[in-house]
Amino acid sequence: MTVTVSASGLGLRYGSTHALDEVSLRLRRGVTGLLGPNGAGKTTLLRVLATAVPADRGAFTVLGHDPATARGRQELRRALGYLPQTPGFHPDFTPFEFVDYVAILKELTDRAARHQEVRRVLAEADLADVRGKRIRKLSGGMRQRVALAAALVGDPGFLVLDEPTVGLDPEQRMRFREVIARAGEDRTVLLSTHQTEDVAMLCHRVLVMAGGRIRFDGTPAELTARAAGRVWSSAGRDVGAKAGWRTGDGGFRNIGDPPEGASLLAPTLEDGYLLTLDGDLAEVTA
Amino acid sequence: MTWHVAEDDLRAYLRGELAPPLLWSADTHLAACAECRAALAAAGDPRALDAAWERLDAELDAPRPRLFERLLVRLGVADHTARLLAATPVLRRSWLTAVTLVLLMSVLAARAGHSTTLFLAVTPLLPLAGVALSYGPAVDPTYEMAVVSPLHGFRLLMIRTVAVLAAGLALSGLAGLALPGFGLGALGWLLPALALTGTGLALTPRLGPVGAPCAVAGGWVALLLAAAARAGGGHPLAPFTAAGQGVAAGVAALAAGLLFLARDRFDQSRGGAR
Repeated sequence: MTVTVSASGLGLRYGSTHALDEVSLRLRRGVTGLLGPNGAGKTTLLRVLATAVPADRGAFTVLGHDPATARGRQELRRALGYLPQTPGFHPDFTPFEFVDYVAILKELTDRAARHQEVRRVLAEADLADVRGKRIRKLSGGMRQRVALAAALVGDPGFLVLDEPTVGLDPEQRMRFREVIARAGEDRTVLLSTHQTEDVAMLCHRVLVMAGGRIRFDGTPAELTARAAGRVWSSAGRDVGAKAGWRTGDGGFRNIGDPPEGASLLAPTLEDGYLLTLDGDLAEVTA
Repeated sequence: MTWHVAEDDLRAYLRGELAPPLLWSADTHLAACAECRAALAAAGDPRALDAAWERLDAELDAPRPRLFERLLVRLGVADHTARLLAATPVLRRSWLTAVTLVLLMSVLAARAGHSTTLFLAVTPLLPLAGVALSYGPAVDPTYEMAVVSPLHGFRLLMIRTVAVLAAGLALSGLAGLALPGFGLGALGWLLPALALTGTGLALTPRLGPVGAPCAVAGGWVALLLAAAARAGGGHPLAPFTAAGQGVAAGVAALAAGLLFLARDRFDQSRGGAR
């Protein structure tokens, strides 16, 4: 499949902190998940790829557009849909007015064509019934879908979604996943998330970031396979485990290097993710 | 029905060329008037007619623009620009009320027997504050989305600046009419207002959207205090003399030039790490 987004050696420092450190990646059509703990550099990477902030080092192209030049940046932005981590709204606007506003920012100035596009993306985000309600009266899940609808305006070829499912209840999350899955059928979608279930259910590929670097790049199945033979159950806390937590049945689920004769469990994507983080596992040990 | 859509307008409607606010009137009228719908059906070929019905359907489905947007369109502003302006945080009622109150108080102070210096000193700061509060990550909830949009950040900034200046200068001009002994001297705030606003914007890429207007406002206050210390009783402060006005005009022109040169600096976010 054709590479749509290509980055090499991206670096960005804030003071002495390496927010991005030699990040290289190649994305193709479909949904790619971006996992990582807080402060891993996920949002910084998304903001760089969305051209919100420039990188200090390295280069990247999106759908053949190079943001190093003003013209390339503008072309890239025409092909971009961006849902930031904390999307802001004009609370007095309705979803229709807000998406219409974003459509104008995306250079859709013809009123009739613009309104047609607004109706299309509101329907795609399953918001047609609430298009006339004030945004401040909508639930968190609906607001997130309003932001997603705004990102979909203009049928962008590259969709950047920064933790869109945070704070949503399970039903809202499921509806959101349906919309993202539809969006990923014919676009390149980069989805940053803390939810490994999002990745398991939506993504054909996953990147894991920590400390500003990419620590894993492969399929969800390959990430899960990293934990094969390295997950076991025990009656009490196993001090030799890299991470372990009490499960609902009162026993412990451990990951790391199992002791002789341990009762091995089938690994999950989350197990593979936690083992990939390795050095950061202290944070997740309960 | 007391009126019907004119034939020329119906034909323009069919071609998709009828512009707001005439378009809105036609949409609303066509939905209610069978006679005009029949005239529309008779006026064009079937394909154009289908497209027109589709447009009518889309328009009727769209929310009616708010009073502020309708007013802007009636004043000749394009409907998409009116929508951009409606999203300008500072053009809300609260800001316009605050500006009106400040102007009212300084006018009342002048009418109570004090000099017009307070009015002249305060008024240039209002558009500076208005522009500062209309663009940037701290005040615009959609700033991040706007920054990555193809519409150039500088263009959006200029659209909002012109709107804030127009509103601020109009209110200040009206307030000036209420000053005692109204004359050309009462317009002494105008050039300093343009100079301060231009300088604030020109410094924004270096000092940030909060630091730049604060620095400029501080400089203006310091300048006025120094001028007050030098001026004798009854004499106008230096910025409001002919020479001072000339300097303000020069600063405004210089700031406009520097702002234009720095326009690409408004094209990416000033936000830090996340």
